Parts: sequence; structure tokens; C-alpha cells
Amino acid sequence: MSREIIAFCCEHSATPAANLAGRLGLHYSENLRLIPVPCAGRVDVVHILKAFEKGAAAVLVLGCEDGACHHIEGNTRARERVRYSRTLLEEIGIDGRRVGMFNLAPDTPHKFLDIVNETNETLKELGGGK
Amino acid sequence: MTEAKIGVFICDCGGAMKNIDFPTIKGELDAIADVASVNLSSDLCLEEGRAKMLSCIKDENIDRVVVAACAPQLKEHVFQQVLRSAALNSYLMSMADIREQCSWAHEGDVTTKACGLIKMAIGRARLLQPVEQKDLLVKQEVLLVGGGFSAMSSAIQLSRLGLHTTLLVGDSALGVRSRELEELLGLEVAPMTEAIDRDKNIEIVTSAELVGMEGTAGNFAVRIRKGGEEFVQSFGAIIFATGPRTEILPQDPGSKSSTRIVSQERLARWLRASSPQPRPRSVAFVFDSSDECSRLPTLVTLNNALAVKRSWGSEVYVFCKNVKVDSEGAEELYHQARERGVVFLKFEDSPGISIEDGLVRIEAKDVLLGQDATLTCDVVVAEEKVSPAAGTDDLRSLLNVRTDSRGFLQDDNVHLYPVASERKGIFFVGDCRGDLDAARIVADVSSAVMGAHELLARGRITVEAERVKVDPQKCRACLTCIRVCPHSAIQLVRIDSEREVAEISDLACDACGICAGICPAKAIAFQGYSDEQILAQIEVLKAS
Amino acid sequence: MDPHVLVIGGGIAGIASALELANAGLTVHLVEKEAAIGGRAASLCCKATDVCSECSVCVVAQKIREAAIHPRISLLTNSVVRRVSGERGDFHVEIAEKPRFIDPERCIACGVCAELCPAEPKAVCLPSAEAVPFSYVLDERLCLRSRGQDCDLCRESCPTKAIEFEPAGRRRELTVAAIVVATGFEVFDARGKGSLGYGRYPNVLTGLDLEETFNREGCLRLPSNGKEPRNVAFVQCVGSRDESHGYCSQVCCKYAVRLARLINYQIPDAQVTIFYIDLQTAGKGFVQFYEECREKVRFVRGVPVEITQTPSGELEVKLENISQGKASRELFDLVVLSVGIAPRKDSWDLASILGINLGDCGFFDTSEPLNSTKTNVDGVFLAGTCQGPKDIPDSMGHGMAAASKVIQALGVQAR
Repeated sequence: MSREIIAFCCEHSATPAANLAGRLGLHYSENLRLIPVPCAGRVDVVHILKAFEKGAAAVLVLGCEDGACHHIEGNTRARERVRYSRTLLEEIGIDGRRVGMFNLAPDTPHKFLDIVNETNETLKELGGGK
Repeated sequence: MTEAKIGVFICDCGGAMKNIDFPTIKGELDAIADVASVNLSSDLCLEEGRAKMLSCIKDENIDRVVVAACAPQLKEHVFQQVLRSAALNSYLMSMADIREQCSWAHEGDVTTKACGLIKMAIGRARLLQPVEQKDLLVKQEVLLVGGGFSAMSSAIQLSRLGLHTTLLVGDSALGVRSRELEELLGLEVAPMTEAIDRDKNIEIVTSAELVGMEGTAGNFAVRIRKGGEEFVQSFGAIIFATGPRTEILPQDPGSKSSTRIVSQERLARWLRASSPQPRPRSVAFVFDSSDECSRLPTLVTLNNALAVKRSWGSEVYVFCKNVKVDSEGAEELYHQARERGVVFLKFEDSPGISIEDGLVRIEAKDVLLGQDATLTCDVVVAEEKVSPAAGTDDLRSLLNVRTDSRGFLQDDNVHLYPVASERKGIFFVGDCRGDLDAARIVADVSSAVMGAHELLARGRITVEAERVKVDPQKCRACLTCIRVCPHSAIQLVRIDSEREVAEISDLACDACGICAGICPAKAIAFQGYSDEQILAQIEVLKAS
Repeated sequence: MDPHVLVIGGGIAGIASALELANAGLTVHLVEKEAAIGGRAASLCCKATDVCSECSVCVVAQKIREAAIHPRISLLTNSVVRRVSGERGDFHVEIAEKPRFIDPERCIACGVCAELCPAEPKAVCLPSAEAVPFSYVLDERLCLRSRGQDCDLCRESCPTKAIEFEPAGRRRELTVAAIVVATGFEVFDARGKGSLGYGRYPNVLTGLDLEETFNREGCLRLPSNGKEPRNVAFVQCVGSRDESHGYCSQVCCKYAVRLARLINYQIPDAQVTIFYIDLQTAGKGFVQFYEECREKVRFVRGVPVEITQTPSGELEVKLENISQGKASRELFDLVVLSVGIAPRKDSWDLASILGINLGDCGFFDTSEPLNSTKTNVDGVFLAGTCQGPKDIPDSMGHGMAAASKVIQALGVQAR
């Protein structure tokens, strides 16, 4: 297993939040690979599972705050899919905590940082990650 | 498919990304077979940088472009323009953010990560396909549902812009209910009905209702029922401007039928009558006790309290929890009312109202005085609640849109404010989307007029053709995508005598990809975010 | 030829107006006196907890970006309108661009200049992390050259040669068919209420200070000692609904309740109290939110009249507690003054340039009671808070309405 975290980031929220973090000099661990998606609802269970197959240590799906999705319920659909992929992962012996869904707003770079740090903390316990 | 010729353009942003070793990256990328050219620049977004990028694309016959630079949201449009200048479709570019998401986000040398990010973009770029633009015809007709102030002023404004409208009125004539509101809120309705009667751009269908709707923005097929008959008419956009419903909140059971407990409307009629007999000596108003969303009731109360003072000179008491003055001119009215001697009593719990010896008795604990106050009045104007018009829920399911937490049309989602819905071409104005004061209603109307104009003014609209597309060969018509599309952009169409498949409207689609994520047959391709293009980025993990 | 329109003010109302006009096919010149567009709303913070609290701040950043890349909107930042003549359909406008040391067309925001600037604090900086245009600005007053030193580090090192030390201000002349005024508001200066201690006690902040703190730090700490606040008070109607401000600012109750909820979410055991006259909880989606907040936040009817600092650094709030009908004192470690929306003091200048009227409260006046975008001058329209207090969605709606009135007045017709 590599140490990489794959983060599927909604282009309306998590991607701009990540950009802001960079601009404000809020440093986070290098093992984060951001894949922009137009809405968290675009993320498919297959994408999540494939990321683990390719050796990701963790997968994050980051979407808009509840009630603020540009596509009304893309974020809630993403949450369902993350939950479902967690059960699939558990079945094949991968700790379900390695996949997570978080909500944040585009102008909350600190929250983005907290999510990355928290994930790395989890990985410390589970192995892999930074 | 012939192999792509990928051009990679890397910008070090004036030398600002010191923690990246660019020559090393170039060396690594040069080794990739289908990467035709790797260019290092320090000023890619500036004119000189773009000129070099353009000539390289042309000279090397590049057909897929990767730009590794700052955050795409900053300069993506600039680089897309370069592609267009090179006669390349602007969708044939993939960007890697090596500044905000890499160089600036981490301490120490990040050459490996930057290289990985660029490889992800290359993996995606390799699979990109062009998306062409095309023009769709739109029907230059607007349907206005409602016959009140908002609907009428929308029609007048649209007509001024040269758009033909149809007013679908539930009542037997225009402005029936608005006339009553006229005095409550100071809206002038009569001149509007006259203007509409003269206007050739405006058609009126009275005593009719909307019973069905199909199609998407630009071409909605609306089923209208009038009398016993139904007919279908086509519209480019629909504006809902149905009013609210106001009802007196339940009173104590014993006092229900009393003529001494009246509605605001009844009071207004009473005030209009030439010689009311006998004139009440004391009038009390109650509002904002159980319904704390009482912006409209506040304005109506203040107007009516002043009118009572003016016409009858009665003693006036107002019982409320909070005076809602967050609308234009409300604080001024509140001041005037107090100056004229209207007494405001604020309470935390709902006051008790009962009839005693033919008079109304109100008991409340006044928070200003800190004691129980009991008042006997001739007339009480009871608390009213503003709620969504009857039938709103049916309309919601008919349109496949959401209502807010109080049941008004339009979801509580800031991205829809002020007047949009989750469906293109459908707008909500005025009191159908919440209890709004006159100033807000007027702004709503103009906003919706603007939205309809933008969609219909040219008679055609430019869209991205088949950016999100259903493969008819793979589609099993399971309807999942139709069910989940938040913008109702997908319909079932017949392709031959045997089969129906899902089809996405390029105009109604908002490119979220929720359908592509959920389709069990993997029949939906989203150009730029297809499964292959997303997986190609993940693929790089193993390679690194 | 499609008409040109001038929009004065690059805040959210001006941007909303400009976008609508540009989408309708008109060419828009958006004049902003600051170096970046976005106005006041761009400095506000997201107030979401685990759910969106519908403050609309995130919409602002999105609209700013849309305006920035719109091919039919030209941004004239750092500029002011000097003179206007003519009439509807044919206004002649003179715009003065203040001298600009860093050319935003050439600045790539690499940050090399800021790294090298020896001044303390640095004379070159970004207006904000989200600034549009995303370009550094040089503050003349902080630059060592203004103190007679011969520093040339930033200009010398700028990789794109974007810096010039003796820039000439530019004059532009435009001919436009209509003008939208969207100059926004001024935040009430809480120092005007001396008894509340703002500017004297470090732990007395304004609502705006709090917004900026959340934006900068992502969390709230006491300015005096950097510790988490335990006991926070919000004081409503500071600069609204008083003798000199005969109106409700319409935003303060909502931002106070949202910020109170946010503080409570981040610091669950903190007690937050809101002192109010009348709570303005009407509005789409807000009542339910308020009901949820009532479980956590303490609402007290009463207006603090004086705030003093105890020797231990706590803030003693003296108020008329209306519910109990007596004067009382309470201690807090942080007091937030919910400052209101005030008319801009320089509105008078623009009013005389354009010939439009100011109303009693100091906001631009409308000539028809129900058409709040219309002024007494044909072809000049109002948008947003320069006409009266509005929140973000209302400002956007008003901006769109102004755009609508512009195209109607200009006789733009569907084809």
C-alpha cells in the first residue's frame, strides 16, 4: 500500500478550499492527491474501490455543506455511495475508516486542513499515510 | 484511434515555485511516448507565454494539451482561448495545479508530487474528446402562473422586452385578490389590469389551472385545464407568481365565531366602508406570537393600525413577540404608529383571548412592564399566518421541484436565490416562495424577467452538445438517471419500435454527473469526467 | 451595436447587475475604487456548522469569478467616476484610475516581491487570498521609498516586470447608455457608541471583526490572551434603529444568530447570549434555523447601555433587562457589537456628480416608492445597499432588478 490519500473534490467547494489553503500558506501533508469532480455526486463506488486497488491508503470524498449543494443533493448521494463502499471494503478486509465523506464550504481552507490532518491521524492508527 | 500528441506546458510562475525541480520533471515527462513536447515557461499566462504556447501547439501539431501551472479557476479560461486560437477544441486541455495545490501547500521539495500531478493530467488529457457547441431553438413564449400583482407586473415587463406571455389565472379575472391587498400593502393594481388589457403581447386565460408539464427549458409542453377541457401549449419559460394564503390562526374555541375577532382583510373592508357603525373605541392587533416569520403580518398590522387611528381615532394596542422591521420603510411605519399613540405590548407567550360581556379580553404577560396585562377591547384583529397557497404541494410534484422547510416553493438553497429553481427556465417570484414584502416582490419580478429574457431573447441558445451523453446501446431504460437528476434534464425517448432510452437535454443539463455516477449500466459518459478519465488519474498512483 | 452600461461599485449588487447585463448581450464597464472587486461581502466568513446556515457568502466568491472571466465585462479597478454628462442613451463618463504601482495585467501573483520587501509591515501584499484580479498591490505609505530610501528590490526582482515606481494615473472616457449605481454601504463605526468600549477594550469586537477573524483563523480566540472564549455576548442594533439611524439594518440579527451558532458549534461548552430589541427572524429558511439555535443560544430582550472592563479583564455589561424590568449587570469574556449598515459618507459626492437625490437616512433616494431601482435621473439606476440595507441575496436580487430596468429603459428587444 502506498501512502497516498486520494481526495475527490467538488469543484464548487473542496477544490477552491484547497486552493485557498495553498494561498494562505496553510501547509498539509504531501500525500494528498486531489482529483477535481464537478459535484461530489459524480463520484462512483467504482472510483473509490479502484483507488484502493491501485494502492491508495485512504480515499476522501469532499462535497458542499449539507443544504448547499449546487445540484441540490449531489452531496447526500455521495455520502450514500461512500457508506456503501465502506461496507464493500469491510467485506474484503479493508478497514472502512479508510474512506470518508466530508462536507465543507469553498471559503473554509482551515476546515480542509482539519480534514486532511484528521485523515492522516486515522492512517497513523491503521497504517499507511504520512 | 490514433495515438494522441500531447503537449505539456509547465509554468514556474516567475520562479516562485522554488521547491520544485522543473528540469527533472521535464526529463521524466519527455520519456513518455505520446508526449510530443514538454515546455518550461515562467510567464505562461502572459501574452508572451501564450504566444509561445500557441506556436508550439501549431508547430508540433499538438492535439491534447496539458497545462501545469496555478489553480485552474484563475487562468483556465485564458489557456482555453489559446487552444481556440490554435483551432483546437477547448475541451482538449487538462490542467494540473502545481502552485496552490502543491508548491504552496507543502514545505520542502515537492518535485515528485508535482510530477505525479502532471502525469495525472496527462492520463486524463490522453482520453479527452472535443465538445462542440450548438444552437437550440427556444420558444419565445413565457407562461405566467398567477393573476396577482407579481404575475401582472412580470407580464408587463416581459412585454416591454418584446416577449409574448400568457397569464394563467385561477380566478375569473385578473387581480381579484390583489385588490384586497392593495390597501394593505399599497400596491396599485387597477392601472396594471388596464395596461394588460391593451397589451397585444399578453394573453389571459382565466379560471384555468396547470395540470401537467413535460419537456425542458426552451420548450415546456404545458397542459392547461379550463372549464371541462384540457389543452397543451408550448412555452420557453415558466414563471410562478401565485400568491400566499393567509389564514387566521386558531383562536380559543369559545371565541371562534365572534364578530369581534376579525381578520386584517375584514378590518380593511370595514375601514373602506363609508360610515362604519358603531366605531370601535378600542382595537387590538395580535401578530408574531406563534408564527415568527411574520414580516408580511407586521407590515399589514402597522398599515392597518395607522389607518384605524386615522379613520376612527380608536385606542390601538398591538400585541406581538417581535416587531419585524427588516423590510424597507417598516421601521419608519413603526415610528409613525408609536407617535400616533399606538401602544405596543411585547410578550413572550401567546396572549389569551376570550369574549366577556360582548367584549374581547386579552391577557398577556407584558415583557416591557414585566407584569400581567389584561385588556378589554371592542375588536381584536387576530393573528394570521402566511402559508403557501393551496395546491403548492401538487405543483411541487408536478414540476418535480422542492419546497422549503415551510412548504413554500423553492428549496432552501442559497444557490437558487433569489428566483431560480433547480430546473432551468422555471422561476418562482414573490409570495409563492416565501412571505415577501412589496420591495422584495418587485425585485423578484425584475430578476425573473431577466432570467426569462436571457433564455429566450435570441430565439435560440448556445449549449454544449452532448457533454453528458447516454449511450443508447448500453441504456437499459431503468429510469434511475431520470429519478436522480436534480435538474429534471433526462427524459425517455423512443429510438425505434422496440426500445426507449434515456436522453439528456443539453439545455437543461447542469453537468453535475450525478447520473453518470449512479447509472447501473455505465451508459452515461460525461466528457472531461468520464469513468475512464477519472480512473486514468488514479492509475498514476501505482506508477509512481 | 449593443449598448454599453456603466456599473459603479464592484460589490455583490454591482457584480450581479453586471453579470445580468452582460448575459443579456450588453457591454459592461464595472468601476471599483478598491484594487479588487467583491466589496464588503467578500470579506465575510462562511457560517456553516455541520450544515449550511444559508449566509450566501460562498455565492459571492462564485459571482466574483464569473464576472472576472466574463468576456463582456471589463473591470476597472482602483478607479473612480469623476464626471458624468449627457442623458439616457448617451452618458459621457470620465473615470480616473488612481496611480497603480503593480500592473494587474502583468502580475502573476508569484509573491517574489512580497518575499523580498524589507519594509515592516510589508509594503506589497495581496488584498486578500481570493482577490480578483489576483494581483499584488503596493502600499505607498509603507514603502521604504516614501521614507527617502532608495529601495528597488521588488521592481528589480519582479519576473514579469509588473512594477513601476512612478506610475501615472490614467483618465478614461466612456460613452454609456445607462448607469447603475451600486456603491454599497459603510459599516457603522462602533467607536460612535463610546460607552460600549469598542476600540478601548481588546475583547470588545464588532460583528465584522468576528467575520474577518473566522476567515483568517478559521476559529475564534480572545484577542487579549488567545484563549477560547467561554462566555460571549452579542449586542444587537448597534448603529441601527436609533435616533440617527431610523431603519433596521436587516442583516445583524441573522449574522449574530448564525455566528452564535458557529461559536457554539466550535466551542460546545461556550455560553452565547444575544441581547436584542426585536429579533428579525423572518426570511426564507431562517425561522427553522433560529428555532434550532434557541436550544443552545440564550436570547435576552434588552439593550446594553454600558460596557466596562473589570481589573481581571472581564467585560461587565450593564443593561436594562426588559424581561425582568430592572437594570442588571452580567460578566462576559467577549462582547460582539452587531454593527449595522450605514450610508456611505462619500455618497454625497457621487450624488452631485450624477444629479441623483439622497434620502433622509442618507441612502440614495428612489423616485417611485415601489420601484427601488429608479432614481430621479432617467437612465441612472440603483442597486444594492446604496439604496438601503439588504442582505446578500436581497442585494443580488436588487442588482438583477436594476439590470432588468436598464434593458427595459434602453428598449432592448427580443429578436
